Amino acid sequence: MTATDKAREIEERTAFFDRVKGIRVASWATGLLLAAAAVVAAVLQPNLLTPYGVSSTFATFLPLVLVAVAQSFVVIGGGLDLSAGAIVALSSVVAVQAMRGEEGTALIGFLAAVGTGFACGAVNGLIVSRLRLQPLIATFATASVFSGLALFVLPTPGGTVPAAMTETFRQAIAGVPVSLLLVVAVAIGWLALRKLRVFRYIRASGGNPAAAYASLVPVAGARFASYAICGAVCGLAAVAVLGNSGSGDPFIGGDLALNSIAAVVIGGIALRGGIGSPIGAIAGAITLSLASTILFSVGLPTSWRALATGLVVILALSLSALGAPRRQR
Amino acid sequence: MNESSPLVRLRDVHKRYGGVRALQGATLSAVGGEVHGLLGPNGSGKSTLGKVLAGSVRPDRADIAIAGSAVQIGSPRAAAKLGVSAVYQQLSLVEELSVSHNLVLGQEPGRVGFLSDRAAKAKARPILERLGPALGDVQADQPVRDLTPGQQQLVEIGKALLREPRILILDEATASLHRDQVQVVFDVVRELKEDGVCVLFVSHRLDEIMELCDRATILRSGETVAETVIDTVSPEEIVRLMVGDVQTVEREQEEPAEGPVRLAVRELSGKGLSDVAFEARAGEIVGLGGLQGQGQSELLSALFGATANSGSVSVDGRPVRLASPRSAAARGIALVPGDRGSQGTLPARPILENLTVASMRKRASFGFLRAARERAASQRMVDELSIKVGGLAEPVSSLSGGNAQKVVFGKWLLNEPDVILLDDPTKGVDIGAKSEIYRIIRGLARAGTTVIINSSEDRELVTLCDRVLVMFEGDIRAEIRGSEITEERLVQAALRIGEGTHGETTAESAT
Repeated sequence: MTATDKAREIEERTAFFDRVKGIRVASWATGLLLAAAAVVAAVLQPNLLTPYGVSSTFATFLPLVLVAVAQSFVVIGGGLDLSAGAIVALSSVVAVQAMRGEEGTALIGFLAAVGTGFACGAVNGLIVSRLRLQPLIATFATASVFSGLALFVLPTPGGTVPAAMTETFRQAIAGVPVSLLLVVAVAIGWLALRKLRVFRYIRASGGNPAAAYASLVPVAGARFASYAICGAVCGLAAVAVLGNSGSGDPFIGGDLALNSIAAVVIGGIALRGGIGSPIGAIAGAITLSLASTILFSVGLPTSWRALATGLVVILALSLSALGAPRRQR
Repeated sequence: MNESSPLVRLRDVHKRYGGVRALQGATLSAVGGEVHGLLGPNGSGKSTLGKVLAGSVRPDRADIAIAGSAVQIGSPRAAAKLGVSAVYQQLSLVEELSVSHNLVLGQEPGRVGFLSDRAAKAKARPILERLGPALGDVQADQPVRDLTPGQQQLVEIGKALLREPRILILDEATASLHRDQVQVVFDVVRELKEDGVCVLFVSHRLDEIMELCDRATILRSGETVAETVIDTVSPEEIVRLMVGDVQTVEREQEEPAEGPVRLAVRELSGKGLSDVAFEARAGEIVGLGGLQGQGQSELLSALFGATANSGSVSVDGRPVRLASPRSAAARGIALVPGDRGSQGTLPARPILENLTVASMRKRASFGFLRAARERAASQRMVDELSIKVGGLAEPVSSLSGGNAQKVVFGKWLLNEPDVILLDDPTKGVDIGAKSEIYRIIRGLARAGTTVIINSSEDRELVTLCDRVLVMFEGDIRAEIRGSEITEERLVQAALRIGEGTHGETTAESAT
């Protein structure tokens, strides 16, 4: 009798460790943190709720939201993209050079940014899926390459962006700021496209590559697609960066890649792949951005931002670990 | 049925894994509308043969014909195009996806790249209904991770059925199922047979083979040794065919070890083990027999403290804390693991370091190593075990399999263990090195060490052991002693032990 009791206890103990290994932030924890961050930010900075406040806040959030969505595809597919920030930088400076500050070139700039992003993502995808290099190392290396190329294309910050691009950002449609609408559009865009076969394949490949391969899922293709899509969405983020800042900057990528990974984790996407959704990544990105807004409004220097990011990630993970119900078997 | 052109014909199939010949000229021929058993003792290559047909193992050489035309099968995708589906005991499900998404995985219905959940459910429904009596209350949109292992196995079978195969391979696909669930699967198999499907049934369970199969191909050491019609043979004859007319293996055991009880194990339970109890004397060589994967490796790693377990283990009457390999090593227990590459050696490091790493503490003074002592210790092992090395500074990866395995032995012998646990110690080792390793093992036993050995080769147990414990589903179910240890007895014990107890210990609540 005692032997079986003990065996059960051990089973529960190993089950616990299994859970910790596959730990992810529960969706209720993501929601809770987002709500808490929004409330605190609104209390500390009441003008955040004015139309102007919402407009400018979401304009600064949008790049991270997009990069987090981009990162989520790769992470759900079982990979990691450390070059996401560098792709944003390269795409944005290529777009600036393509537009040369002339009016009526916004569309060309848009296509240049998305095209560059897609090309960079395709390079990552080829390296990871065909050469089978570790995503961490491969994208760490390509990040340096893309950053170098960005400096080559635009050595110093500068250049101007057509007014069409920057002004769209500051407008409002029926009283709702465009920047907020764009965040909503990203979410709706995902909901509309999530039934695409490629996303099912990405999820299956991230969840269990061997099983997916045995089930005739083109695993290498899905992996390639996840990086290529990530790159293209990073190109969109580059457009958001340009619209927000009005000029090109080869150094813009800085913290974006690591912050996007943090956002993805906060948004309930497990780093081992297969679990989670871009919607969570959007929530995670907004939570992170709000956290640094809060730090700013209580007068802490912006260099403390990394600290805030780390704390939010730890808070999100420990909330989920403590509150998770035991898995029923 | 047309005997002259079988639906499946494999000829001259060869496959090597490193130094091990898994298949050497195996053949198989089966027609549509039959259930064809694939039988053989541990390591006979029956699963590998199935995997060659399913495209998940690429043979070195093979002559494959399906419905009379020669084909190449390079991937699971190529196999599927030819109408071959396979189900293994090891599942290929994506736990994060729902039951219906898993069932249609890789062949999702949809239009212009967009998937339709409704179409997927409609496609999965007939299969779920067919397997319903066995599945219980499983819902189509339930994530697979919430299912019991048996239910997951059924989903895996459903997945293969959904591809409407001409040739279906079931490789130990019923091992985790309850008796009632097995009957549902058998009914499905019989229906497929009526429809002209060829079912290849790989199983360790002789009673299942006798019940379900029309004919069977019997493999031994990677070769096809017989093809029989099941109705015309008895289970005993099948066992004899599997073992073959082996020359009696030379047993070098003088008399049974009479030493005091050294290792005592009581109520040992944990991952893959239930309530294991046994004793072993000083100088005794005890084998772990039975089908592969019945808890032998798990028992060894439990004794070594590498996995979480409950129960009591004592060496020479003193209890061992089953907390970590270090506490086990402190009581004189050593494990020579089965997988040299991942657990036994540090391949890129020098031979000297590999030999001394586990026993450094003994020779170090105040934490500092003395180069001369380390060198002397490793040289002693190289001499004693006659390890063929170029120099002690060369990496282990420069050695052959047999010599690398001797390095693993030497590493633990430097600790002068009282109990040595061997997990398939001659896997992938050539015959010459094998007999030297046997000599080392016997030498250890003569010196009073207790040896516990798990082997994928029954012959090895016959050659070495004083006693063999036959394991089944995590427990010791039979014991064979001294001169009674023969290959035939071992195979018979392993195959027949499960009869009548099918699903008992894997029983799961239907909810």
